[in-house]
Amino acid sequence: MSAAPAGVPQQETAAAAAVSVKRVSKVFGDVHAVREASFDLPKGRFLTILGPSGSGKTTLLRMIAGFDAPTEGDIYIGGQPVKAVPPHKRAIGMVFQKLALFPHMTAAENVAFPLKMRRHDARTIPEKVERYLELVRLGGYGKRRIDELSGGQQQRVAIARALVFEPDLLLLDEPLAALDRKLREEMQLEFRRIQKELGVTTINVTHDQREALVVSDEIVVMDGGEIQQMAQPVHTYRTPANAFVANFIGVTNFLEGSVVETSNEAIALSVGGMRVKGVAGGTAKVPAQGELAAGALRAEQIRIAPTVQGFSGLANVVSGEVRDAIFEGERIVYEVVVPELGGAVLRVFDHDAESHQQFGPGDSVALGWNAKDMYIFKK
Amino acid sequence: MRPSRAAYPIRWRVMDILEQVAGKLWPRSFSAGLPYLMLLPALLLVGVLVWGLVEIGDSSLRTLDTSTFLMSENYTLANYQRALSERFFTTVAGRSLMGSLIVTVVTLIFAFPYSYLMVRTQSSALRKFLLVALFLPFFIGQVVRAYGWLIILGNQGMVNEALGLVGVTPIRLLYNYPAVLFGLVQYMLPFAVLMLAPAMTAIPAELESAASSLGANWISSFRHIVLPLSKPGLVGAGLVVFTLSLTDFAIPAILGGGSQDFIANAIYDQFFRTSDQGMGATLSLLLVAVGSILVGLVFMVFGAGTLAMGGDRK
Ligand SMILES: Nc1ncnc2c1ncn2[C@@H]1O[C@H](COP(=O)(O)OP(=O)(O)OP(=O)(O)O)[C@@H](O)[C@H]1O
Ligand SMILES: [Mg+2]
Repeated sequence: MSAAPAGVPQQETAAAAAVSVKRVSKVFGDVHAVREASFDLPKGRFLTILGPSGSGKTTLLRMIAGFDAPTEGDIYIGGQPVKAVPPHKRAIGMVFQKLALFPHMTAAENVAFPLKMRRHDARTIPEKVERYLELVRLGGYGKRRIDELSGGQQQRVAIARALVFEPDLLLLDEPLAALDRKLREEMQLEFRRIQKELGVTTINVTHDQREALVVSDEIVVMDGGEIQQMAQPVHTYRTPANAFVANFIGVTNFLEGSVVETSNEAIALSVGGMRVKGVAGGTAKVPAQGELAAGALRAEQIRIAPTVQGFSGLANVVSGEVRDAIFEGERIVYEVVVPELGGAVLRVFDHDAESHQQFGPGDSVALGWNAKDMYIFKK
Repeated sequence: MRPSRAAYPIRWRVMDILEQVAGKLWPRSFSAGLPYLMLLPALLLVGVLVWGLVEIGDSSLRTLDTSTFLMSENYTLANYQRALSERFFTTVAGRSLMGSLIVTVVTLIFAFPYSYLMVRTQSSALRKFLLVALFLPFFIGQVVRAYGWLIILGNQGMVNEALGLVGVTPIRLLYNYPAVLFGLVQYMLPFAVLMLAPAMTAIPAELESAASSLGANWISSFRHIVLPLSKPGLVGAGLVVFTLSLTDFAIPAILGGGSQDFIANAIYDQFFRTSDQGMGATLSLLLVAVGSILVGLVFMVFGAGTLAMGGDRK
């Protein structure tokens, strides 16, 4: 109805997407919780909204679910604007951060609740409930009360309850945050299995970057209420759009300096007097000569060796002194002080610690990396 | 300013001295007995109550000799027979029980939305207002409040004067059953709200969001989620309101004007008007019995955990 002439083509793209968020903002008093967020999510995809605490993830999710109205902007679900649709009329299944299972009902009654509320044929309900309990591997647990289930089992009841009425959209607000790491990783894979099996469009919120990388088809990175990047996990990791994303995902070293040379994609920075070569990162404007910039370099892209021998193919080679070596099980993390780079401390992963030499604090080492592995962002 | 003293403040020194004194009076080896020692005041209090009950039980078994105005020497159940058969007493009992039941139901119906709003509202100003409005009546005693109603509802009261302005002849608003019930509901409301509010605070707002995302409109969400989960609060509040109403004295006396006596008024009359201690004691015991049986029944039906304000819930 409110579609201005300019809005017509927009609505057409919205029709193709299961969820479409258009320039949505939410203001609480003087807090801008979400600023002009926009994205389209095709049907059947698994999207994760990733961001630090307070970045507006929950707020965005609550607006999609219909618990809060956007201050500005519009949300389309299945191509329809949902501004005037209350939550109970939206076909959205939601799993809450604290699960919000009904404590006075059994697991089966919890799962049956949405079916009863949506007036499904009473005769089909028990069969459906059992089918979904089996889907989450809780067959036979229906008669248990909620407090007689373990944390992971409760989690799965909540998922079954959100899925049983075959919603168009599944929303997950950090439902795994409270679990211990092993169970969390199991549940992440479980999510992915169920989502693929049912093909339901899903939006998942988390601040666990590993979870985002593991389960998602698409990742939206948020910070300060703004969307920083929307991309597939591989791209989010390999080609971060800006310094924030590079820093938030993975372990990243930042080398700051002024630009001394630019040619096409290649950029050279002067860091503590040394020339460091990298490539332009992200979609923002390439920094010009003389401007301040930061080079982002992942800890696993740096090679470490006792001497520079064998580093001949690398564009950047420096030497430094190990300050600390941290054993993390599958890898060793070295902190290396590099005087050539103005005393910068680089974190370096060594995943293959068995096969070659290990270093200890005080050892002199050589570090090297490719120019294409260092993304340079304008400051 | 004086660092040497600040380093070892006077309060600490006083505490040290107290601790030493306590150590002398109650050596460590006695420490296992400490919890029992702390129970002592409560036990004393209960003991006094039990003793009083025994005394009342004793009087209830003696009848009043109307010629000498002395209590009979030998025990008899005559008082109980009278209490259960005489028309006057059964009427009073019926009126009190029925009245308390109505008051309980009506109070809970009013208190429920009030506490819900108080617990759930986003506006802290509204919450404060509701809390103050709730506590204000506590500062005014029951008797004063009842007299307040006399001023408002009396034949020359404010309501009738206002009605007079529009040409309605004065209506008798006081000294009848509804007036007493009205006064009781108004008196009980804060108690009920104060008992309901914690039970409702224990229901996470997320449960209601979840219900609505699962397809429940607010009526269903209220019926299937809020109401069942408030049960402990409702049972507790109902029990308190019922027993307080059943044993109330001032409101039936003042707003009922002597024509609407509850059990407590009848007991008062027996003790202080007819001086029949035996009958007064009998009625008192019967009242205690009804109250105890009721609490016992509620515990049996809902479990003793209900009054612990959802202590058995996570
Ligand atoms: N009801 C509210 N009233 C006022 N401010 C709010 C409200 N809800 C959220 N905010 C603010 O909006 C911002 C975003 O909050 P939001 O809950 O969306 O963060 P989040 O990304 O979900 O964080 P977390 O990872 O900690 O859950 C925060 O600064 C928060 O304080
Ligand atoms: Mg959140």
